[in-house]
Amino acid sequence: MDSEDGVHDTNDLESVDDDFYSGGTGSGTEEGEGDYDFVENDSDESDDAVSHRHQNYLILSEADIRQHQEEDINRISQVLSIPKVDACILLRHYKWSVSKVHDAWFADEESVRKAVGLLEKPIEMPKARELTCGICFEDYSHNKMSSAACGHPFCDTCWRGYIGTSISDGPGCLMLRCPDPTCGAAVGQDMINALVSGEDKVKYSRYLLRSYIEDNRKTKWCPAPGCEFAVDFVMGSGNYDVSCKCSYSFCWNCTEEAHRPVDCGTVAKWILKNSAESENMNWILANSKPCPKCKRPIEKNQGCMHITCTPPCKFEFCWLCLGPWSDHGERTGGFYACNRYEAAKQEGVYDETERRREMAKNSLERYTHYYERWATNQSSRQKALSDLQNMQAVQLEKLSDKQSQPESQLKFITEAWLQIVECRRVLKWTYAYGFYLPENEYAKRTFFEYLQGEAESGLERLHQCAEKELQVFIDNEGPSKEFNDFRTKLAGLTSVTRNYFENLVQALETGLRDVGSCNQLPPSNKASSSSSLHVTNTSGGKARVRTVYRPGGPSHSSDDSSHWSCDRCTYVNVNSINVCQMCSYRR
Amino acid sequence: MANSNLPRRIIKETQRLLSEPAPGISASPSEENMRYFNVMILGPTQSPYEGGVFKLELFLPEEYPMAAPKLGRICLDILKDKWSPALQIRTVLLSIQALLSAPNPDDPLSDNIAKHWKSNEAEAVETAKEWTRLYASGA
Repeated sequence: MDSEDGVHDTNDLESVDDDFYSGGTGSGTEEGEGDYDFVENDSDESDDAVSHRHQNYLILSEADIRQHQEEDINRISQVLSIPKVDACILLRHYKWSVSKVHDAWFADEESVRKAVGLLEKPIEMPKARELTCGICFEDYSHNKMSSAACGHPFCDTCWRGYIGTSISDGPGCLMLRCPDPTCGAAVGQDMINALVSGEDKVKYSRYLLRSYIEDNRKTKWCPAPGCEFAVDFVMGSGNYDVSCKCSYSFCWNCTEEAHRPVDCGTVAKWILKNSAESENMNWILANSKPCPKCKRPIEKNQGCMHITCTPPCKFEFCWLCLGPWSDHGERTGGFYACNRYEAAKQEGVYDETERRREMAKNSLERYTHYYERWATNQSSRQKALSDLQNMQAVQLEKLSDKQSQPESQLKFITEAWLQIVECRRVLKWTYAYGFYLPENEYAKRTFFEYLQGEAESGLERLHQCAEKELQVFIDNEGPSKEFNDFRTKLAGLTSVTRNYFENLVQALETGLRDVGSCNQLPPSNKASSSSSLHVTNTSGGKARVRTVYRPGGPSHSSDDSSHWSCDRCTYVNVNSINVCQMCSYRR
Repeated sequence: MANSNLPRRIIKETQRLLSEPAPGISASPSEENMRYFNVMILGPTQSPYEGGVFKLELFLPEEYPMAAPKLGRICLDILKDKWSPALQIRTVLLSIQALLSAPNPDDPLSDNIAKHWKSNEAEAVETAKEWTRLYASGA
């Protein structure tokens, strides 16, 4: 495959897009100052793979959470001049919102106190030398009895039972009141700590910590199994993607795994559909496919889609469409078209036909198409993730020895793999996107499939380079001259792929809204650096999104007479070319 | 039998229930199991249940009084989330008696009866009287 071509293509994309920012179309600033934050954050892009993104959230460790909670409690305690225990009870009642506590308290302190169970002046227990416990009816001396601020005396054994029962019932223990049914006095953490066993104290403090995250609108736990980090999210900042320190990425809004460019509703629909039909799918996908040539079953155990059958067959084919690999890629004149459901259906010359015939319903067939590609990218992503870990744990050191390179100089490999993992995720979700894209929106579908195809081939290129080409250098006996070229190539592919995918995500998130609308002026182009790409994240003026798709070609002015608009996909081409650069449709 | 190490609280409650019974309520422990009570509640005067005798079975679980007594399928908040160990058998039975005086059709055991009650209370009251006479007066 000719990867160089692709690099140029996408590099052009990059500069075209930048133009828009520097070209001053005027639409870029409509959504306010937020845009410029991206620019500032971009300045240290080189730091690591994610630092160039605008962070609208904070990852909190348990220690951070306790510290934040403590700070909030201290603040309320000071401002309201109440004990810290009471401040804690108040905050919990108002879902840990400091401002809500302030508002309610200063509006009507008395009714707040009543609702929460905080007495203004504590009442002492009756002064008698012996008191009767209201639970076990035994008489005890005064010093064996305790009460909340209301003075209702119960013996310490019964308190322990009362609090312990409440703690084992769940987080409701944080709202514990005096056992006397006519009394609503709150029982705070000070009483808990004074009266119960160490184990119960730990449980209570755990519930208190959880409440701070779970009851607060701004915070959530990372949903990854076993992960103990929480996320503090700045509301109203648009993008819901969160990358936890445990390396799990998820959507803050629906807490499913990160799914840009698809929206939460679509994800929910898709997941529901998968769970309903997964039995079927599991049966169909059953882990192996026959080699299209020699029919031996093949299990895919490497990340990319380029499969080479074992000798003597050695047939090279695409895992997705089972077509020969030689049909894929730029050099053969066509482009990587494995995303094309319609085409696959017509091709039908592969073994697929028979299997497909067995499937009674066309809708199932269509779903299968998308599900299979969704699931394949999912497992490719998992594989890439474990490859990345293996890379970091073993291979990099090996490579560092073989090529006499310090490990610090090999960061580009880790970055490439991180990018592959991220791209597999995006690509995966584009299949859910494609499934729900209406059939009758022909131009959109065609355009979408083109974009997806480009993304897929770009990613395959990167994946292949990071997996197979790298292996050569790991297997080599000594340092190789070509290693520096390899570095340039892989780093280049990583950056190009990153840009392409970021633009793809943006384009899909705006619903490909430029497709189908005619009379679009082509963009004016100038070159600038890649770092300002992110500026377009929150704006999304029509023309700028449109330019993202442009696969390259000469820059042109916005003079209408020098261009023609493609009848099929509406892309605006220069007059000197008679084949649409977007969809290859003839003028 | 579990009677041998019965908590003081249960013994005291039982003694008091027997020596100072609440009006219209009788509760006596079973001879084999002191945690098991046979309860009778008289239909409150001026209610459709007047003249009826309603039998209940009440059981004090191992966790009592930290957990509520068990009393069949009666929708009463203090038997569920509003239970407090400072409540007693006596208070629970008084609450049930009060429920007979003022039924709560918004939290019914039987949907049909609740609907009937809400759509035509007079007729539902007549049915209640009839059923009290038929099924709750022979005891």
